[in-house]
Amino acid sequence: MAKYIAKRILSTIPVLLGIILLIFFMLNVIPGDPVTVMMKEHLKEDVIENLRQSMHLDDPFFVRYFHYVSGAVRGDLGMSWKLHRPVTSLIADAFPYTLRLAVCAALFSWIIGIPVGIISAIKKGTLLDHVSMGVSLFGVSMPVFWIALILQNAFMRVLPVSGVDSWKCYILPTIVLGWSTAGRIARLTRSNLLEVMRNDYIRTARSKGLSPAAVIFRHALKNALIPVITVMALQVSSLLSGAVITETVFSIPGIGSLAVTAINNRDMPLLQGTVIFTALIIIAGNLAADLLYTAIDPRIRVD
Amino acid sequence: MNSILEIRGLVTSFATDGRKDRAVAVNGVDIDIPRGAIVGLVGESGCGKSVTALSTLGLLPENGRVDAGSAMFGGQDLLKLKDHELRRIRGNRISMIFQEPMTSLNPIMTIGRQVSESIMLHGGVDKATARARAIEMLEKVGIPEAKRRYDSYPHELSGGLRQRVLIGMAMVMQPDLLIADEPTTALDVSIEAQILRLMRDLQRESGTSILLITHNLGVVAELCDSVCVMYAGEVVERADVFTLFRGCAHPYTRGLMAALPRMAMKGQRLYNIPGSVPNLWSMPAGCRFSPRCEFAKESCRQEKPALADLGDGHLCRCLFPLDDVPQHEGDNP
Repeated sequence: MAKYIAKRILSTIPVLLGIILLIFFMLNVIPGDPVTVMMKEHLKEDVIENLRQSMHLDDPFFVRYFHYVSGAVRGDLGMSWKLHRPVTSLIADAFPYTLRLAVCAALFSWIIGIPVGIISAIKKGTLLDHVSMGVSLFGVSMPVFWIALILQNAFMRVLPVSGVDSWKCYILPTIVLGWSTAGRIARLTRSNLLEVMRNDYIRTARSKGLSPAAVIFRHALKNALIPVITVMALQVSSLLSGAVITETVFSIPGIGSLAVTAINNRDMPLLQGTVIFTALIIIAGNLAADLLYTAIDPRIRVD
Repeated sequence: MNSILEIRGLVTSFATDGRKDRAVAVNGVDIDIPRGAIVGLVGESGCGKSVTALSTLGLLPENGRVDAGSAMFGGQDLLKLKDHELRRIRGNRISMIFQEPMTSLNPIMTIGRQVSESIMLHGGVDKATARARAIEMLEKVGIPEAKRRYDSYPHELSGGLRQRVLIGMAMVMQPDLLIADEPTTALDVSIEAQILRLMRDLQRESGTSILLITHNLGVVAELCDSVCVMYAGEVVERADVFTLFRGCAHPYTRGLMAALPRMAMKGQRLYNIPGSVPNLWSMPAGCRFSPRCEFAKESCRQEKPALADLGDGHLCRCLFPLDDVPQHEGDNP
């Protein structure tokens, strides 16, 4: 198992190098000169030229790439051009907000999504099933910014609609983020459970004289949740890498907001930093999903 | 009559998407299983054998429904019992083995737990006792290193071993009746013989009656005391195994017998009954077998034959039962 994890971690190195290369390339080809954006075009030619040199902007592409990677290996993702602070410390400041929101949204979506999926499967075809699947589909289909604005309007007298001053500030963003995830999990749980219930081993369990509850909870549910758990782990990693829209709408200074700021300012080091951080989180989430999988399903062995 | 299970007039139908009328899969089936006997239930795929078994145990899929009939077991009609009453009988006094050992075990639960689960449920014993009894049962059904295998998962076992586990699971409560639904169909021939021997040994030891569902008359000849032949949801012939193999009366049974491969027929083409089982929605008006029957006369297509007694409890649903002795008598047991 340890060997497998080590192998997986090693295999992320080329992936990360590739991601850095890609983001470097893309930022290289987008129009707009970072120096003029930074300095608002008030500077003289020679000053601009000096700045460009001190920022290594005139170096060849691969030289800059090499410098960046060698810095990143030492934990240095460069300085933010606009905010004049190390990118790593900006990320470290922003991450707790994103983490808090992601944990709340994930818990919300599991606590709501899994039971709703189970009940819908058991009560298949009833009004309850149709209503809960409708609400789930609504959450999955509606754009996040729309739900966010509607909820802000509806609850602005009772709940804070922006900022991070108290725990109450997290309620609406949690619902906005968690709703679609909960909907996805509910629908997946329901369809998997219904599919598992058609299996031969469920008939075997029933033929033993087990009660319907024992059949569902002891035999069907664990089998049905295996794919759901994968989705859950991947969902967590995407929540952790920052909910750009939700954080922006609710003014939460997390990773998502940081990325938006970086884009608006053409702040390449900061943007590269957030992208790489996101990639790391996603890779870790994938690894966690795979490990969880092997822990639950005895048919999958890693080594 | 000293029967462990008496099924009378069983009618089971299924709802199908896009059709208003229900498909009647089992139409008035009578079956008796004498105490301690092994009864074979024979017929082609889709003739209602499994549905008959599932109906009696209340294990029909959601779209299935028992419309009429009774199944008397120990003074109770199984078809009238409430679900929780039936659950006390299932897996305890009547248990079932299914056709597919590869998929009939829960893939993420150890085989030992799947066996001991029944013991804890019906035996009311603690985990340690159940474990000990489960290991004992696994040994009995011939699982090597049963103690270690207790913690194995189904995918770590071969098909033959999995079927042994399923048999152990079914027999662990020493049921009065075991319903085995094609228990060897998915296994290869050498394993099949072992499994059949195991079932017979367990049956002799425990006195359990067995309803053996199969499409293989060879298995019937080897194991059963009496036989019920089903065709298109009806019993068409019923006799003890010697009577049937000495001279079956229904053309369908004869067709099944002729389709058995025999050593004496080496090099010849294997016989098959022409046509296939009729569609559940368009049953022939008269005898249901008449469109495929080589002996059918005009009256067969008009008149519906009843299950008539030919003497010695040999029942046959045919207007013109065969009385000739089949040519291949010499090969029979």
